[in-house]
Amino acid sequence: MRLRSLFEAWNAFFFAPQSPIPIALFRIIYGSLVIATLTLLRPDWLAWYGPHAWVSLPTMHTLEPGTRLNLFAVIPQTDAWINAVFWIFLGSAILLTIGFLTRLNSLLVFLCLASIHQRNVYILHGGDTFLRVAGFFLIFAPAGAALSIDRLIRIRRGKEDAGIQPRSPWAQRMIQFELALVYFATFCAKVKGAPWLQGTAMYYILHLDEFKRFPIPSWFLHPLMLKLESWTALVLEFSLGVLIWVKELRYIVLTLGLLFHVSLEYSLNIPLFQWDILSAYILFIDSADITSAWDWLRTRTAVHRLDR
Amino acid sequence: MRTRPKQIDGRTNTLTKAKYIAINAFLIFHILAISCWCLPIDSPLVTLSKDRVRPYFLWSGLFQSWDMFSPIPKAANTYVEATIVYKDGSRTTWTFPRMEQLSLTERYFKERYRKYAENLPLDQNDALLPDAARYIARLNSTPTHPARTVMLIQKWSFIVPRADGSYIPEPWGQHILYGYGVKPEDLQ
Repeated sequence: MRLRSLFEAWNAFFFAPQSPIPIALFRIIYGSLVIATLTLLRPDWLAWYGPHAWVSLPTMHTLEPGTRLNLFAVIPQTDAWINAVFWIFLGSAILLTIGFLTRLNSLLVFLCLASIHQRNVYILHGGDTFLRVAGFFLIFAPAGAALSIDRLIRIRRGKEDAGIQPRSPWAQRMIQFELALVYFATFCAKVKGAPWLQGTAMYYILHLDEFKRFPIPSWFLHPLMLKLESWTALVLEFSLGVLIWVKELRYIVLTLGLLFHVSLEYSLNIPLFQWDILSAYILFIDSADITSAWDWLRTRTAVHRLDR
Repeated sequence: MRTRPKQIDGRTNTLTKAKYIAINAFLIFHILAISCWCLPIDSPLVTLSKDRVRPYFLWSGLFQSWDMFSPIPKAANTYVEATIVYKDGSRTTWTFPRMEQLSLTERYFKERYRKYAENLPLDQNDALLPDAARYIARLNSTPTHPARTVMLIQKWSFIVPRADGSYIPEPWGQHILYGYGVKPEDLQ
């Protein structure tokens, strides 16, 4: 490969304008997941982040020293202020989802998300971490360029016409990169452990009482099946980290990934984790295919209405 | 300069040269830094890189680790409970919400307690224990019936693989994590 072709590939990947529909759809799913996270946190909001929380602010500073992007470190430690953060956060998440003042609200959502994570890192799962890191890159993305109130306002003011303009996708690429890295890093960590290589890892996981959700058929717990499940997890995580970049294999890998996460959602109790990760799959779908799917759905709905 | 974005699509010319360079620097830095941070590579260069970017990652919230159930999955069922002894000598037991004893809806709302109780017994998190004991004391006290001491206890039952794949729960063992003498100001 020549250096020039490498530069060209880099530029085409990060800067060749493309439809902002995938990143706009991601914004909607992302915002909805943040709203869901907040809804689940609401009953214990003060227990986790309040002035008399499970982990006090001084203890947090002791365990996690250094300067952090954390609103809780600068606001007065009263119930009213801590609750105000919740409502501002929720409001921003709703506005981000509908795409109103998208850039400002993506910044506010990230700031609030980073703050609650910094305030108590001991209650976070991987899905939270993914939302935080993806949220950082979402700030830079043209997430309000389609399917947003912002766009409707621009059209009404005559600043934009009905056609959606392609945009530089570099921020979207960073979220895609992050997703692939999540899988690849998990794969690398797993292959260092003997239970994963020997195929016994799933035995332990499926017998952890705290993670059990719905009943699993007994044949699924047969030693041979457990080996197969452990190795399948390794193969899938490698594929989702590496083969996802191969265009011809992408949709196959994404479909397998979807089935993988849905099966985990059924069997393991880690609320929202699977959906947090799956949210970024939309970024790997070609905007032309999204448009085709949308047109097909509209046609089907129209035919269905005419039939009635 | 054929590779500049303005030449890729002649219709758009939104990126200035300075902006283009800044974005590329941002991309290269973050791709390298996040890779070094996440991938379990034993190399002095990677360690050095991690140390250099650590303040920025901790500040910005880009810190992350992807080691779910790895390299070795947890091999025991565990939970944490507290024994509270009151001023009048009576005692009670309080347990962190145990997911297996909750309804499906409750598990959605209370899962954070599972994660917290998983982190609480770790040696590096010893500083969490006094706060936890104080919180439990407040939770279980009334002005007329104040707690005097709180003892945090971890319970565990090992998961032992069997040749036929069956599972027989092992007996529960226990370990005292922490004892705390409650002060009057803790209950305010």
